[in-house]
Amino acid sequence: MTTMMDRPASAPGHSAPKKALIERLNIFTAFGLGIIGAIVFWYIAKAILPANTAGSYIKSNRDQWVLLAMIGWLIGFMTGIGAFIGPFRWLLGKDLSHEENLFYAGKDLGVKRYFRYTTDHKVVGIQYLVTTMVVFFVGGVLAMLIRTNLGHAGGGWLQPQTYNAIVGMHGIIMIVATIIMVTGPFGNFIMPIMIGARDMAFPRLNALSLWLIIAAIPCILSSIFLGGIPTGWVAYNPLASQGPPGQDGYIMFICIFALSTMVAGANITTTVIKMRAKGMTWNRTPIFIYGVVASVALALPAFPFFFLSQVLSAMDRATGSTFYDVRGGGSGWLYENLFWIMGHPEVYVILIPAVAALMEMAPVFTRRPLFSFNMAIMGIAGISGLSVLVWAHHMYTTGWAPLLNGPFMLTTELISIPTGLLFLVLIGTLWRGRLWMTMPTASIYALLWNFMIGGVTGIYLSDVPIDGALHGSMFVTAHFHYTLMGAGLTGAVASLVYWFPKMTGRMFDKTLSWIGFWFVQIGFNIAFIGMFLVGLAGQPRRVGSYAALFDQGNMITTGGAYLIMAGMLVFLYGVISSWTHGAKAPMNPWFAKTLEWTVPNPVPLENFDVLPVVTSDAYGYGKAQS
Amino acid sequence: MSDLETQKRPSVFERKDVKQTVYLWVIFTAIIGYVAATVQARSMGAAASETMSTTIHMIRVFTWVVAPVAGLIAAMAATTLISKMHFGDTPPDEADHQIRNSPRATSTWLIVSSLLCLFAVVWGTIVLQRDNAAVLDLAAMNVNVTGQQWVWNFDYVDNGTVRSADLYLPVNKPVVFHVTSKDVIHSFWIVQMGIKIDANPGYVTETSVTPNKIGIYDIRCAELCGLYHAFMQTKVHVVSQADYAAWIKSQGGHA
Repeated sequence: MTTMMDRPASAPGHSAPKKALIERLNIFTAFGLGIIGAIVFWYIAKAILPANTAGSYIKSNRDQWVLLAMIGWLIGFMTGIGAFIGPFRWLLGKDLSHEENLFYAGKDLGVKRYFRYTTDHKVVGIQYLVTTMVVFFVGGVLAMLIRTNLGHAGGGWLQPQTYNAIVGMHGIIMIVATIIMVTGPFGNFIMPIMIGARDMAFPRLNALSLWLIIAAIPCILSSIFLGGIPTGWVAYNPLASQGPPGQDGYIMFICIFALSTMVAGANITTTVIKMRAKGMTWNRTPIFIYGVVASVALALPAFPFFFLSQVLSAMDRATGSTFYDVRGGGSGWLYENLFWIMGHPEVYVILIPAVAALMEMAPVFTRRPLFSFNMAIMGIAGISGLSVLVWAHHMYTTGWAPLLNGPFMLTTELISIPTGLLFLVLIGTLWRGRLWMTMPTASIYALLWNFMIGGVTGIYLSDVPIDGALHGSMFVTAHFHYTLMGAGLTGAVASLVYWFPKMTGRMFDKTLSWIGFWFVQIGFNIAFIGMFLVGLAGQPRRVGSYAALFDQGNMITTGGAYLIMAGMLVFLYGVISSWTHGAKAPMNPWFAKTLEWTVPNPVPLENFDVLPVVTSDAYGYGKAQS
Repeated sequence: MSDLETQKRPSVFERKDVKQTVYLWVIFTAIIGYVAATVQARSMGAAASETMSTTIHMIRVFTWVVAPVAGLIAAMAATTLISKMHFGDTPPDEADHQIRNSPRATSTWLIVSSLLCLFAVVWGTIVLQRDNAAVLDLAAMNVNVTGQQWVWNFDYVDNGTVRSADLYLPVNKPVVFHVTSKDVIHSFWIVQMGIKIDANPGYVTETSVTPNKIGIYDIRCAELCGLYHAFMQTKVHVVSQADYAAWIKSQGGHA
């Protein structure tokens, strides 16, 4: 990369006489080829595959057609966006030239670069940001449908089938949105600058991970028209094998998303290990970097299990295998294990970078050093390490292996120790600081509050006898919303406000950020305290109607949900209006000491003219003692 | 880099913000513990078995054990919010210190959180062992539970061939449920008795309980099982031994 900068840039623009293939591909050709691919695969599958399913475990051929059509979509889409050009050129021995690489990085392309297979990490970061917001919007609309339906007892206006389909879609869409919400936009845009690198270690893989997600989204959206996902986000078998072809959309969505996450995980981990600026030892590496790496590195062992669980599910549906079907010697417990071996690390994949982002902001807004950097790292490392050993606490009541309940209770409750360290670091940093009250600062307090409630209710649930009463109830739903939304999303939105000036060159509107913050936090606490109460009283999860005694709690929750929606719409408006007419941001609006604030707005291609040399950590705030 | 040890600290507890935090700590702990424990116990309602009473008791104790920790963080947070706040577009002055660590604070924190964790694990394990042993009780009556989309069926295997859709149990008699499913995974949950076990097709899982109060309680399915999952509920009638015997006879079984 350095040699590239040393050479003088070629003539501005790309005034080649004949448009090369890579210049003609963009999001439109991708969608076009993707749709063609899907149609072609659909008809080939219909023509070739035997129609007779008698005597096998397959219900109908539709799953085969749908799955193959989606594979066709994926191949067409990735071809259409130009993902295969680089590898093919390399195979043919005609690797990309310097100019072509610059074109790929989006040099002098203006707005167009956001619609192409652009390798610049800043473009990918913005693409991730917009993608995340779109996915959150869809998931949020579904959430509001759920809450509106649950407004009063018995009288749900959604049919049970529709309701179940919406619950599953909301679940998986939000899980994916929260997984990418910090490491996607900020891990891509901010992280390389923060460590003083010119780009990611593998810029093309970076683009690949983004476009795989964009290819995956239509699969899950198509589920709406294929019967939905009436299984909850976990898609337990054998219920999932009864499901409509919408279930195939889920399978393909997860498979493609898992690929994307693995690619991104390898890329980000390598970047941080190999490309930190000179002098940035591990002790001087900002805590946010630790959070991002812990998150994606945790995804590396976790997501192959997710991928595998869905491949086996697809085989059961389409080829008559019986991995999960007890009639053929399979077991639903196999699915549950594969799923939760991914599923528990996954919640920390979501949580850790959000908390780490707030830890990064805490010294900036208290004008003092981060309290106990080492404990922050031990907290993150401890959570990451333990999180791969706790999955069966989701299975206490399955009867799968009662003797393992004790050991899994032990590992689960041990997680409270490193989690406690995160609290210690945050509260220790706030203590005796000089508080600069901004929306990110308030988010630190909101995180402490929400995560405390989420964490303590997690201790109840980790206890096997208590879980016997609360498992599968709304109490669990409220608990994980407190962790993933109350802690995770709060951190992600604060990150957006904090890094918005660097990413867009404009300040996030202060008033709007405060209005959004209060609406969301108040609404959130109303909504999910109400949900705790109905859960304790015995309302099961994922029910479209309920006994009259849960009426009041559900009314409260629905009211709170509407407040959250109002706050989220304020944030959305804030993003759009600030991005288009916000006040121009200075280079370092927060007077922070990390490297991303040392580059001008807009951040130039390849970030740094001269790579920085780091001589201290980024937390040297506070008056020196005389 | 300076740390607490090198500073002059005549007495930590004489500092204004520390004093304030200590007062707030006591107040917050009391409020958090009382409100959380009361609201939770009230929401869970009256227990219909020893298992559920234990669960409610454990939640109450855990809440009170955690309350000082939550109270401390709340008190420290409140103190920081009360003391120095700065709004505006430029940062306030730098903080008066550069403290990066406090070995005493961090080690105290680690030790206390480890002890609390140990307490939760040990107590949980003791109760868990008792629940596990109850499943092996040979004197208990046996009921086979079969879930299917979207009904429960109960077979009273100790009393001949009696099957019902509402569960009938004699009071104060231990019962072991042998739970299975005909189609997808369901979860057999007697809400007021605090027990739950999945019904898996092809496998039999077990759980046990001793109902200790006469009355009618709720059985709900706790695992999404398809279209009418929300309606897969029934009742359990806990009756006296004599009433149970009479009911079994009326169903053609033998007591």
